[in-house]
Amino acid sequence: MDFNTLLQKEFVLLDGAMGTLIQKSGAKYNHSPETLNITQPGLITSFHRAYIEAGADIVYANTFGANAYKLADSGYSVEEIIAAGIANAKKACEGISALVALDIGPIGMLLEPAGSLRFEEAYEYFKQQILAGQDADFIVFETMTDLYELKAAVLAAKENSSKPILATMTFERSGRTFTGVSPAAAATTLTGLGVNALGVNCSLGPDELEPVIAEMTQYTDLPLIVKANAGLPDPNSNEYDILPGRFAECVKALLPYGVKFIGGCCGTTPEYIAELKTMLANEAYQPCQKSADSSVCSASTVVEINGPRVIGERINPTGKKLFKQALADNNIDYILTQALSQVSGGAEILDVNVGHPEIDEKKMMVRVLKAIQSVCDAPLQIDSTKPDVLEAGLRCYNGKPIVNSVNGEEKSLSAVLPLVKKYGASVVGLTLDEGGIPKTAEGRFEIAKRIVARAEALGIDRRDVYIDCLTLTVSAEQDACRETLKALHRVKTELGCKTCLGVSNISFGLPNRELVNSTFLTMALEEGLDLPIINPNIDAMTGAVRAYRVLSGIDKNSLDFIASYNDAPAAQKPKAQENMTLDAAVYNGLKSEGATVTEQLLETVEPMVIVNEMLIPALDRVGEDFEKNKIFLPQLIQSANTAQECFDVIKKHLSKSGGDNVSKGKIIVATVKGDIHDIGKNIVKVLLDNYGYTVVDLGKDVDPQLIVDTAVEQNITMIGLSALMTTTLKSMEDTIRLVRQTPALQNPDGSSKCKIFVGGAVLTKEYAMKIGADFYCRDAKESVDTAKRVLG
Amino acid sequence: MITLNSLNRREALRYLGGAKVRQNETMDKLMDECEAQLLSAARPKFLYKIIDLPCAELTVGEDIVRHLEGCQRAALLCATLGAEIDRLIRVAQISDMARAVVLDAMASVAIEQVCQRADDLLAEAFPDQYFTFRFSPGYGDYPIELQKTFLTLLDAPRKIGLSATDSYLLIPSKSVTAIAGMSDSPVARQRRGCAVCNLRKTCQYRKNGEHCGF
Repeated sequence: MDFNTLLQKEFVLLDGAMGTLIQKSGAKYNHSPETLNITQPGLITSFHRAYIEAGADIVYANTFGANAYKLADSGYSVEEIIAAGIANAKKACEGISALVALDIGPIGMLLEPAGSLRFEEAYEYFKQQILAGQDADFIVFETMTDLYELKAAVLAAKENSSKPILATMTFERSGRTFTGVSPAAAATTLTGLGVNALGVNCSLGPDELEPVIAEMTQYTDLPLIVKANAGLPDPNSNEYDILPGRFAECVKALLPYGVKFIGGCCGTTPEYIAELKTMLANEAYQPCQKSADSSVCSASTVVEINGPRVIGERINPTGKKLFKQALADNNIDYILTQALSQVSGGAEILDVNVGHPEIDEKKMMVRVLKAIQSVCDAPLQIDSTKPDVLEAGLRCYNGKPIVNSVNGEEKSLSAVLPLVKKYGASVVGLTLDEGGIPKTAEGRFEIAKRIVARAEALGIDRRDVYIDCLTLTVSAEQDACRETLKALHRVKTELGCKTCLGVSNISFGLPNRELVNSTFLTMALEEGLDLPIINPNIDAMTGAVRAYRVLSGIDKNSLDFIASYNDAPAAQKPKAQENMTLDAAVYNGLKSEGATVTEQLLETVEPMVIVNEMLIPALDRVGEDFEKNKIFLPQLIQSANTAQECFDVIKKHLSKSGGDNVSKGKIIVATVKGDIHDIGKNIVKVLLDNYGYTVVDLGKDVDPQLIVDTAVEQNITMIGLSALMTTTLKSMEDTIRLVRQTPALQNPDGSSKCKIFVGGAVLTKEYAMKIGADFYCRDAKESVDTAKRVLG
Repeated sequence: MITLNSLNRREALRYLGGAKVRQNETMDKLMDECEAQLLSAARPKFLYKIIDLPCAELTVGEDIVRHLEGCQRAALLCATLGAEIDRLIRVAQISDMARAVVLDAMASVAIEQVCQRADDLLAEAFPDQYFTFRFSPGYGDYPIELQKTFLTLLDAPRKIGLSATDSYLLIPSKSVTAIAGMSDSPVARQRRGCAVCNLRKTCQYRKNGEHCGF
C-alpha cells in the first residue's frame, strides 16, 4: 500500500505513544530511548506490532530524537539508529498493509533569533536524518514549536526525498506554541510549503484542542492530523487522566473540522487506538473548506486580505541617502527602526528592498529579513529584481511572504513563478512585458490574464497573485491615470485577483504631492485596490485607507478608526522653554527639547562649538553622576539619546552647509562567537554613537573572521568585544589572537594597529590583559572614556 | 501554575544602579510601564523532579557535594518567563535602549520571584522535608555544562519550551535551572553568599559596599 491508496480510506489511523510503552515496560536504556532500536529491537518491534493489531495504518519509527545533536554522546550514529528504527517498524508490518513513518522531532536547540542555531544549520541536521531514513514510506515532523525549524525540516525533506510529509505542531493552552506561533500561521505556511497533511500533536488532551483545530481549518484545504495526549499526567504517578473511551469521544467532536489522520501522543496505548478504530467505523471524513481569503503571514500573525491593507514602502534605498549609507555601513538597526516605525504608523505588511550597487544584495536580504523578523510581527514582502535574491529571501523567511515581483516577460515568468510555488508565497504581478507598459487598460489586463494563467498552470492559487496595474506619472501622461484605474477594476472584477499598487509615483513633478497621492489612493481604493504600497508614516495616506474602510463598511462600527485616532495627541513640535539650556535638556533626557534648543543655537553659534563646549560637557556631567551612583543607567542612556538628537540636528546643518564631518572615528563592536546575550554591547553602542563615534555593530555570535575582515576593509583600528559567559571567553581570546595575527592589521614593525577593549559580566581586568586586550571596560561609560583616550 | 501580580521594585532598582541613587519621576514612570508590559507578556512556567541521592551524574565538583551533605534526595527545578520576554527586550533595544535596560532588570527580578513561588510550592508538596537553597550550574565549581543534563532530565524543552545553546546559555534567557537538597531531618541551610559566586571579583555591589541579596 502506498500513501495515495491510504488517502482513499475514510480515515487514517496513526499509532499511539512509543515513550509511554517503553516506560511501562520498564526497559532500561543508556542515553536515549532511540538506542533501544539497537539494544532491544525485538521489544520495539513488539510495540509497533501492538499498535498495528489495534488498528493503526501507520506506525512512527522510534526515531523522534535521532539527530546528530541529541545522539552526540550515545555511541551511535544517526544513520545506525534510524536504519535500525525503520527496520524494527518494517518488521512489525510484515504480512500486514501498514506503513512506516520516519519520525522526526525538534533538534533540541533553539533557532535564531531566540536561540543561536542558524536556519541553515537546522536544515543540515534534518537533511542527515532524511537521507538516513530512505527506507521509510513517508516522513513525519512532530512536536514542533518553532515554525522556522519546521520550515527548515520541510525544505530538507522536499529537497532530499520525494516522500509524502505530515507535519504537526504542539500548542499550549494559550492557543500558541512556546515560540508564539499561531495555528492560523502554521496552517497558512505549511499549506504553502506543500506538506500532505498538517495538524497538532502532544501537550494538550483532545478535549482542549478544539480552538486550535477550528482555527487551522479556516486556513487550509489539506486533511488535518490530531495526535493528542491522554489528557494531563499526574505529577506523582505519571498516569494520564483521559481514558480510552473518553479519548475517542473527544476526538469525535473534532472530526467536523476536517480531521482525517488520527492517533495518540503521550499517555496513549494500543487500547486508545482500538477505541478510536471502533469510534471511526461509524463516521465519515468531512474535508476542510478553506474559508479565509487570500492571506500572508509571519510566524505569529496572519494578515487576511479581505479589505485594503497597507504595505509599508520605506525599507528601500531608492532615492534615500541615509538608507544607502546604512546599507553600506551594515547598519541594520537603522533598518529595524524603519520597520518598527512603519508598523506603528499603520503598515500591516512591510516591503523589503535592499538593492544597492555597492553591497551583496543576496547576503544583505537574508540578514535584513532575519533581523526584521526578530523584532516585528508584520508579514514581509520580499522585493528584488534578481531571482537569486528572491530565493535566498524566500528560504530564510519564517511564514508566508509576498514576492515582489513577477511580470509578463517570459524570462521573469519562468524564473520567478517556480520559486513562488516551491516556497508557498504570494506574488505581485506587474502588468508589463517585453513590450514595456501597455498604454491601454486592455493591454495591461491581457498581461494580468497571462500571469494568472501561468501561475495557475504551476499550481499557484489565483488568490495568491496580486496584480499591480502600475501607476504612471500624471504630470507626464495625464490620461494614464484613468487607464491604470480601469485596468485595476477589470482585474478585480473579471479575474477575481487581489490588486496592489505603488501610489506615490502619480504625483512626481507636481507641487503638493501629498494631496495628489491621497486623492489618487482614494480613487484606486474605490476601484478595488487591496494593497496600497505607501509611506504609512504620512497620515494623509494611512488616514485615507482608514477612512475608506469606515466609509465602505469594512471597519465595522468604525472600531479601528476610533482606536487609531481617539487618543492621538495633536502632532505639535514642542516649543523650547524660555530658560531651557542644552545642558538641562541633555541632563534630563528631554529629546525633542534638546533638538529644538540645538536648532536655535545653530543660528548664532558655530556647530563645533556647540559640540565641544556644550554637548560633550553636558554628557560628561551625566557620566560623572552615573559613576558616583547619583543617577541610574537608564537615565544615562536617556541623556545620551538626547545628545544624539542634538548631534543629528548638527549633522543635518553641516551637510546642508557642506561643512566637516562630526564623526570622531570608527569603532567596531561585537558580541563574540557563541554568545547571544548582547544587551551590554548594545548599551555600549548607543553611548559611543551618542558621543559622536561611528559605530559598526557586527551583532552577536560573531565569527572572529568577520571582525577581522571588517576591520581590514573599513580600515578600523578600534574594536570592542563583549562576552557574558565563562564559556564564551574562549571565543574572545580567539578573536583577539586572530586580530593580532592578521598582517593587514599590523604596523610595519609587527605591532598591532588595533586597540581592543573588552567587557562583560564575568570578565576581570587581569583576565582581559591575559588574553591580550588593550583595555578592560567595567561598564559602558568606561568604553566611552577609552574611546576618548584612543581616538580623541 | 504561577502567576505574577507585581514585581519587586526595590530589587529592580538595585540591579539598575544600587540603593544610593535617588529615584525620580521619569524613572518611576518608565518602571510602571515596563512592569505592566512584563506582567502581560510573561508566561511563567516551572517544572521539578525529585531524584534520589547519591546521583553521580549531578554531583560534579566539591561545592555541590558540600551543598547536598546530609540530604537523601534532591529537587531538580527549572523555571522560565517564556520567549515573549526576550522579544520584548529585543524590540526595546531597537526603539528605546533605556527602556530595554529597565525591562531587562525587571525581568531578572520576575524570574527570581517565579523561583521563590516554586520554592514555596515545593515546600507545600513535601511538608515533611527540609530543603537547602537552590544551587545552579555555574555557581562555584558546579559546571555550567550540566545545563544540558538538567534540561534533559526535566524534559524541559518539550514541557516548558526551555533549552540551552551550545555555549550553555538558557533560552528563553530569563530562565533558571537549579537543584535543592531535601532531607528527612533538619540540614544546615547552606549559606549563600559571595564565596560561591563567580562574580565576586567583578561585582559592582561589592565594590559599593553592598550585597546583591544572594
